[in-house]
This record gives sequence, structure tokens and C-alpha cells, in this order.
Amino acid sequence: MSPILTALVLAIWAYICVYDMLATQFVLANRPLIAGFVTGLIVGDVQTGMLIGGTLELMSLGVYTYGGATVPDYTVGAILGTYFGKGGNFDVGIALAVPAALLLTQVDILNRFLNFVYVHKADKYAEAGDDKGFEHMMVWTSHIIWGLSRAIPVFLAVAFGEPVVKGISAFFETYPWINKGITAAGGLLPAIGFAMLLKILPVEKYPAFLILGFVLFAYLGMPLVGIALIGVAVAGIFQYVKYEKKEA
Amino acid sequence: MATKEKITHADIMKCFWRYVFMAQCGWNYERMQSVGYCYSMLPVLKKMHPDPEDFKEAFITNLNFFNTNPVVGTPLIMGAHIALEEAGASYDTTEGLKVGLMGPLAGVGDTLVWALYNSIIFSIAAIMALNGNVMGPILAMVLVFFPYMAIRYWQITWAYKEGTHLLTSIGSGAIGRITEFATIVGLVVIGGFAPSIISLTTPLEYEQGALVNGETVTQIVSVQAQLDAILPYMLPALATFLCYWLLKKKSWSPIKVIVLLVVVGFLGGALGIFG
Repeated sequence: MSPILTALVLAIWAYICVYDMLATQFVLANRPLIAGFVTGLIVGDVQTGMLIGGTLELMSLGVYTYGGATVPDYTVGAILGTYFGKGGNFDVGIALAVPAALLLTQVDILNRFLNFVYVHKADKYAEAGDDKGFEHMMVWTSHIIWGLSRAIPVFLAVAFGEPVVKGISAFFETYPWINKGITAAGGLLPAIGFAMLLKILPVEKYPAFLILGFVLFAYLGMPLVGIALIGVAVAGIFQYVKYEKKEA
Repeated sequence: MATKEKITHADIMKCFWRYVFMAQCGWNYERMQSVGYCYSMLPVLKKMHPDPEDFKEAFITNLNFFNTNPVVGTPLIMGAHIALEEAGASYDTTEGLKVGLMGPLAGVGDTLVWALYNSIIFSIAAIMALNGNVMGPILAMVLVFFPYMAIRYWQITWAYKEGTHLLTSIGSGAIGRITEFATIVGLVVIGGFAPSIISLTTPLEYEQGALVNGETVTQIVSVQAQLDAILPYMLPALATFLCYWLLKKKSWSPIKVIVLLVVVGFLGGALGIFG
């Protein structure tokens, strides 16, 4: 594929990811694992897609847009990271993905703001009792601002970013400490996702369960599925003791 | 006032597919999911309000602020709302239902779907992908598609059947118990997953003199080994609590915390403190 054609295909993929996140939620294409994997298929390097997507996925576990708050755009990060990381340039890919994800937070705030136009137009349609006009707006335009806000940056970066990225990777080879820094930052980033999850859960009410999970992994080295099953069992026992005793 | 039109399964399915294909499109800071919700409900609103002026009022009313979890939340509210429309309920009742349910369901949905289910399947799938196994992402997609479709379809049909009883059955504590269950599983999972996924270690070492058989020898002591002796995975646990504290007690935005992590992680790695 010529670079422009690849840029176009990846821009369309970014648009689909946005749409799947907003509405259908068929495969959660916006999750970096899926966004990166499919980008890998498109550019013909599935392994890099899985490495970049999987790495970003672990960095962003639990990072969701609770109540509409803006979070880094790891979707675009995974697409651009896979594209520029293909062919064994994983370090460059991941080093680009995180800043790209952070830069796009500004775009996210902008598009959530610009979407006012839809609700104001909807008011006008409602005043006129024009449900057909409203439906037409919803089906054909209501995803355009958000979709393009991701598709355009992806297109521009893929179509014209190559020289910049070449310069960056040369820079990386000269200064190996940059890579060490990026690797360490990547290892630390998942902490935010867990902290965000803890914030929405009543930790202070049930600290014991957090300790239990920690001990299972840190001291007993239990695999993740085992920990999840213990969680289910413990929750069942807890509720049995709490509710069934009274009924007996 | 609404006529005695009956709602058919086909009407519910019309709303359901509109919701699946447009749920949060047009999301904005002012009224969030309102346009997507209104669009999804239009077939029922139109059927139950044949009079044009009456329909206009229903249209306008349903553009009010709306926001909840789109997977576990919106379809439940829609099902109950359709039942209320069929019963000819007033706008006060239907709007009361939406406002009364969207907050609690956002909490339940975010905990069940995002915090719990997604974190488990996506962390396992991501680890498989990092090992080069294409089944990782494929498994994640399958485990999203089928359960998400099923839970959304079940909610709208179940809530429609429950109808006006829904508020009472939610009041009876069923939702509270499900949330409590999910919370406990979530906490156990986070307790175990956080240290396994956050990678933060230090290569720092220091020298100390020790007396061996009456002779002083210099030993190299690894800081990481010392930390592990006190508490394994101490640094990942501390990092998580620091972020939690900044989010919860200092009200930092997630973005601010992420920037802090990137800066601290990068400097720590570059200077050889972490890694």
C-alpha cells in the first residue's frame, strides 16, 4: 500500500474505533489491544500490533471515561504506535504512542465541546416536531465531529510523519537512556488505572478484600484467572454469611 | 393523553437497535447522552403520542440531560420507560424514572462492566497478546460481543416486563446486592492484578562493611532485595496508593496523575533509579 492509501485506511479504522466506542460496543475497538491488533493486520505486522496494543492495554486497564471525563487516547496511540513500530521498531512505536495519546486529550475536550451543535439542532427539530430531520441528523452526522477528530490526526501522522519519526529513532539510538526512561514510565503507568478503579469502589469500607487479592499474587503467585475465581467465591461466601444467616 | 395503543415486541426491538447503533453519538458536555437516548425512544414516543402537539412535547422532554452507563444502564431505563409510556404515565413519572435510575445505574454499570469484567478479560487477553498469541485479541472480541449483546437485550426486555414494578424490585435491594458482589470481586482482582501488571523495581545497590570471621569485607546490598524482604511488590503497591490518594483526597484529574507518572517514570528510568 502506498503511504497515502495506508493513511486513509488507518484513518477510517480510527473512525470505526470511535464509533464502536460511542455506540455499538461490538468488540470495543477503541481498547488499545483491539485497535493495535487490527492496525497490525492492516499494515501486515500482527505481532507488532499485539505488542503495542497489549502494552498500551496494560497501561490503560481501568482507564475509562467515567461520567464523561477525558482520558488519554490510547486508541490513536495504539494505531500510530503500531504503524511506526512495525518491522521491529517496537521501542519507537511505544515511545510515540504515549505522547500521542496524551496530546489527543486536548482534541477530546474540543470535540466533546463542539458536539453542542447536535443538541442545539435537536432542540430546533423538536420545536418543529420534525422527527425525520432529527433522525437524519443522528444517523448521518452525529458521529462526524468525534470521528474526524481522531481520523484526521491519524491520517496526517501516517501520511507525513515518516521523516519526523526517522529523526526521532535516530535520536533514540544516540541516547539509550531515553529508552530506559520510556520503559520505566510504561511500567509505572498502569497504576493510574487501578487507582481510578479504587476511586469508584468503596475501598475504605472493604480493605480486607484488597489485601486478600494482593496476598494471593504477591506471596502465593496465583495466576490472574485464579485470583478472579477466588474473588467470586469470597463474594459468594460473604453474601451467604451476611444474608442467609438471618433467613435460617 | 396517550391512546390505548399496545407496544409490540417489534416496537421494543426498533428502540433497541436504534440504541445499539446510536447510543452515545452526539455526546456533549451540556446534556451528554440526551440526543442518543431521544433518538432511540422515538418509535415508541411516536406510537404512544399520535397527536402532533403531544408528540412534540414528548420529543422536547426526552432531549433533557441524560447520562448513565451505556451497557448496563441505558437499556434497563429504556425498557422501564417503554412500559411507562404504554401505561400512559405523565412526563413527571417518566422523567423521574430516568433521573432516579441513571445515577445509581451509572455506578453499578461502571463497576460491573468497566472495573470488573473488562479489566479481567482485557488484562488476560493483553498478556496472551504480549506472548505472541493471536487468540488474545480474538478472545477479547468474542468475550465482548456476545455477553454485551446478551446483557443489553436482556435488560430492555426484562425491564419492559417488570415495568412499573422495576422501581420496587430495585428498591428491594437486588441491585444493591449485585453491586456489593461485584465490588468484592473487583477489590480482590485489583489487589492481585495491580502488583502483577505494574512493573516498578529499582536496580540500586549500596555497599556495606560486614564482619565475617573477624575480617571486614565489603558486601553489595540490593535495595530491591531489602524491599522484597519487607513486603513483596512494595513499590507497585505504593505507586497505586499514591495515585489513589492524589485522585481521591487531592482531587487531581486522571490526566494530571498520568503526566506525573510519565515524568517520574521517565526520569527514574533515565537516571537508573527504576528499571
